[in-house]
Amino acid sequence: MISNKAKKQIDAWVVKYPEGHQSSAVMEALKIVQAENDNRLTSDTIQAVADYLAMPGIAAAEVATFYENYNHKPVGKHTIRFCHNISCMLNGSDELITHLENKLGVKTGEVTPDGLINVKKVECLGACVGAPMFQIGDQYYENLTADKIDEIVDGLK
Amino acid sequence: MADIEIEIDGNSINAKAGEMLITVTDREGISVPRFCYHKKLSIAANCRMCLVDVEGAPKPQPACSTPIADGMKIHTQNEKAKASQKAVMEFLLINHPLDCPICDQGGECELQDVAMDYGSDVSRFTEGKRIVADSDIGALIQTDMTRCIHCTRCVRFGAEVAGIMEMGGTGRGEDMKIEPFLTEGIQSELSGNMIDVCPVGALTSKPFRYELRSWQMNAVSNVARHDLVGSNIITQTYKGKVKRIVAKDNESINETWISDRDRFSYEGLSHENRLLSPQIKVEGTWKEVEWNVALDFAIRGLANNVINTHQSDKLGALASNTATLEEFHLLQKILREIGSENIDHRLNVKNLDHAISLESNIKLLGLEGIDHALVIGSNLRLEQPMISHRLRKANLSGASIDVINAMAFDFNYRLNSENIISPNQTAATLAGVLKSVLGNAHIEVPDYLVDIEVSDIAMQLADKLSQSNNSVIVLGEHIVNNPQASSIANLVSEIAQHTDSTTLNVSATANSMAANMAGFVPGKDGLDVNAMLAADLKAYILLDVYPQYDFHHSVQAVEALSSDDTFVISLNSFKDDAVAQYSDVLLPIASFYETSGSHVNVEGEVQSFAAAVNAPSDTKPAWKVLKVLADLLELPGFHYADSAQVTSEIMHQSHKQHAHNESIDVKVKRGINVIWQKSPYAVDVLSRHATSLQATNIGQINSASMNKATAKKLEVALGDEYLGVPVAINEAVANNCVFVNANHSTGVQS
Ligand code: SF4
Ligand code: FES
Ligand code: FES
Repeated sequence: MISNKAKKQIDAWVVKYPEGHQSSAVMEALKIVQAENDNRLTSDTIQAVADYLAMPGIAAAEVATFYENYNHKPVGKHTIRFCHNISCMLNGSDELITHLENKLGVKTGEVTPDGLINVKKVECLGACVGAPMFQIGDQYYENLTADKIDEIVDGLK
Repeated sequence: MADIEIEIDGNSINAKAGEMLITVTDREGISVPRFCYHKKLSIAANCRMCLVDVEGAPKPQPACSTPIADGMKIHTQNEKAKASQKAVMEFLLINHPLDCPICDQGGECELQDVAMDYGSDVSRFTEGKRIVADSDIGALIQTDMTRCIHCTRCVRFGAEVAGIMEMGGTGRGEDMKIEPFLTEGIQSELSGNMIDVCPVGALTSKPFRYELRSWQMNAVSNVARHDLVGSNIITQTYKGKVKRIVAKDNESINETWISDRDRFSYEGLSHENRLLSPQIKVEGTWKEVEWNVALDFAIRGLANNVINTHQSDKLGALASNTATLEEFHLLQKILREIGSENIDHRLNVKNLDHAISLESNIKLLGLEGIDHALVIGSNLRLEQPMISHRLRKANLSGASIDVINAMAFDFNYRLNSENIISPNQTAATLAGVLKSVLGNAHIEVPDYLVDIEVSDIAMQLADKLSQSNNSVIVLGEHIVNNPQASSIANLVSEIAQHTDSTTLNVSATANSMAANMAGFVPGKDGLDVNAMLAADLKAYILLDVYPQYDFHHSVQAVEALSSDDTFVISLNSFKDDAVAQYSDVLLPIASFYETSGSHVNVEGEVQSFAAAVNAPSDTKPAWKVLKVLADLLELPGFHYADSAQVTSEIMHQSHKQHAHNESIDVKVKRGINVIWQKSPYAVDVLSRHATSLQATNIGQINSASMNKATAKKLEVALGDEYLGVPVAINEAVANNCVFVNANHSTGVQS
C-alpha cells in the first residue's frame, strides 16, 4: 500500500524525531502517501500509515481529518483552496466562491465532470493582506475579483 | 512535595505544592463542576467547566490543570467564577440535543446535574443544532453521539487504561466527532468502562437500553466471581432482577474499573436455560417435584448407595470453581462427616499427580510497583484483565516484562521479550533460567541441572530476574496440563527464591482460592477427580458442574457419572443435557448475585457479599440446600442461621496443606501438546449464557490454532476441525503445539 519510495521518504522524516517517537512523522507520512494515491486518503491508506508508524489507526485518522491539506474524497487535477476566513470573508470571498461554483457548474467539494478542478474552502492561509485569495498547487492568487478568477480558471489545463 | 497553605473561598487549606487545584477541592469536599477531568485519566482541560477565579490571574483558571502555589487565593463561588461556569455551561449546551426524556443517562447524567446548578432555564440559542451519526461499536455499548460533549474521557480511557486507542476525535471545530476509526466493533476486554466514564448519554449500556431509570433500581454491593481478582461491583436491581452492573471503587482490588465479563455476564441470569424447579428421575423420566420430595429422594439415594451399605468411601463430591467459599466448605464438610475424602474442584486438570502448587505472595497493588515481570503461560489480558491492567501500569512506569508462551498473544504493552516456546521445552527452558540464576549467585547447581544447557534466552531471562530489585514471576493457566506442570511450578518457586522475586499463581481461576481455603481437595486416602471417575463410585454430589465444559476428561466423566448403579445428586443453576443424562435428582440453585457468600482473590483477600436479588422461582442458594441436606442426613454441626456464620467457621479452622509433588523433571518431552482453554467469555456457566458478551469479538473466539508444520503432522487444514474446534493456521503458535480457545462444549476432548 505504501511504495518503497514513499517509505524511504517517510523514513527520512522519522529519523528527525527521538527514537520511539516515530508517530511524530505522521503529518508528513500522510502527505507523502496521499501524493502517490490520486491525492487523497482512504481508511486503508490511513491505516497503512498508522501501521508503518506503529500508532493506532484512529490516531492517524484524527490528524488526517483535522487538517485541510488531506483529502478524503476524490479531487480534481487542480484543487482550488479558497480562503473563507475572516479577512477574505470581509472582502467578499463568499460571493466569489459562489461565482466560481457557478462558473464551474459544481459546488465546493465536488469535482468538475472532466476531472480537472475542485474547489475547497479553507481557513486563513496567512495572506490576509491580499484578501480575498486562493491557492492552487503551491501558488497563491491574491486580490481576487470575478474577472481575475475567470482568467485563472480558464488557464488551467 | 512541600506543604503549603492556600486559601479557597476564604478558608485556609494545607496542601502539597504542585497538586492540581481540583485534587485539593475534591479532597476538601468543595464542589467544582467538571466534565473532562477524571481522577484516573490524564488531564485534558478541554471542557473548561471547572473554571475558578484565582486572585491575580487576569482570566479564570481551570481547576483541573492549575497547579497550586503557596499563598494562592482561589474563589470557586464568587461572581467571576460563577459567571465563567455559567458561560461554559451555556456553550456546552449549544449543540447538545437536550433529549433527556428519551436518554438512558437521564437521572445519572453529569451534564444534567451540572446544568441544574449552572444552566439557565431558557436557551438563547435559536440556530440549528448539529447532529452526529452514531457508530455501531459492538454488542455492549450503545452510542448516541449527538449527545457527546467532546470531553475525550472515552478516548483517553482507551489510550491510557485499556491500552488500545479505539475511539478518537476526528474532524475539527464544529465538525469534530468522537468515533472509532474502523467499524469492526470495540476489541477491548475493558470497554464497558467507557460507559462509566462518559459523563453524558453518548455511551450507554446496550443490553440495558431503554430498560429503566437509575432511580428505580436498588443498588447492592457485590463481588464478581469470574476471575482471581474479585472486582467490586454494584448490582443494580429492579423487582428481583439484576438489571445492570457498574464498577465500585476499591483502590486495592479493581481501582475504578471492571472487565466486560464482570459487567455484562449478569444477562445470563435470565436465560431460558435456567434450571428453576427440583426434579427427580423416576424410571428414566424426569418429574418436577416439591423441594421436600426431591431432598428425600436425594437422601434415600445416598442412604441406599453408600451410607447404609457402609461404603462411604464410594461417595464423591465435585464442584465448579465458581462456587462460593461457604458452598465449598459445606459440601466438603458433608463429605467428611459421612466419611469420604473424595473431594475435588480441579476438574480441568488432566493429571493431578503433576498438579501445580505455587503460592502467590504479592498483592494486586504491589504489582504496580514491580520493576520486572516474567509471565509464563498466560494470555493475561483476556484471562485476568485486571491483573494485566496492573502489570501494564507497572510497564508504563518503567517495568520490563518478559513472556514465555506457546503462542504470541496481543499484549497491550511493550514486552521486553516474547519467547514463543513449545510446551515440551518450557520446563527445560526454566531449568536453564534457574541454572543461570544460580550461576549469577555463585551457588552450586543441584544434580538435576548439571546436564542442562543454558540457552541464550534462558540466560537473558535469568539476568533480568537477577538484576531486578522487585520482580514477580506469574504462572498462568496454560501450564495446568503441561506434562511437567508441577516441575514448572517448582522451578518457578526455586527461581523466585534465588532472585528474591515474588510469585503470582494465576493457573486456576475464578474462586479456586476459596476452594483451597475451604479444603475442597481430597484428603488422606481421598481420590482426586480423575481417580474418582475411574473408581466406579456409588454416589456423587455435584455442585454446578457442566461436564462437557468443565472436565478435562469430559467423555470419561459423562460415562462414569452415567453408570447405572451410580446415584448422582446435581445442584445446578442451569439446565444441561449431559447433566440430565447422568443425574438422578436435580436441585435448582441460585446463581451469581442471587446468593450470599464469599470470594477469595489471588492475594487471599476474603470478600463477602450479600445476595443482590432473591433466588428466582424455586431455586435456592446452594449453601442453604447443602445445610438442609446435612440436616436431613442428621450430620452434626450444621446449625447456621446465615452464610456469615459459615464464613466465620471457615476463618476459625485451618486445613493442613497436604503434600505436593516436589520432584523436578527437566527433560524435553516429545509429541504434540494441546493447550485447551475455554474462550475468555466461556469460562463459566453464567458468562456462557450472557448473549451480548457472546456476540462480542472476544466472545466469538473459537479456534484451534497451530502452525503449518503442526497442522501437517496432525493432517488437518484450514476448514477442518480439531477436537471439534475450527482449525486456524497461525505461525504465532510454537511448534508441536495446538492452542485451543473453545467457546462451546465438546465431547471429544481427552
Ligand atoms: S462519548 Fe462521552 S466520554 Fe467520549 S468524548 Fe463524548 S461525552 Fe466524552
Ligand atoms: S483570512 Fe483569508 S488569508 Fe487570512
Ligand atoms: S474539568 Fe477542567 S477543563 Fe474540563
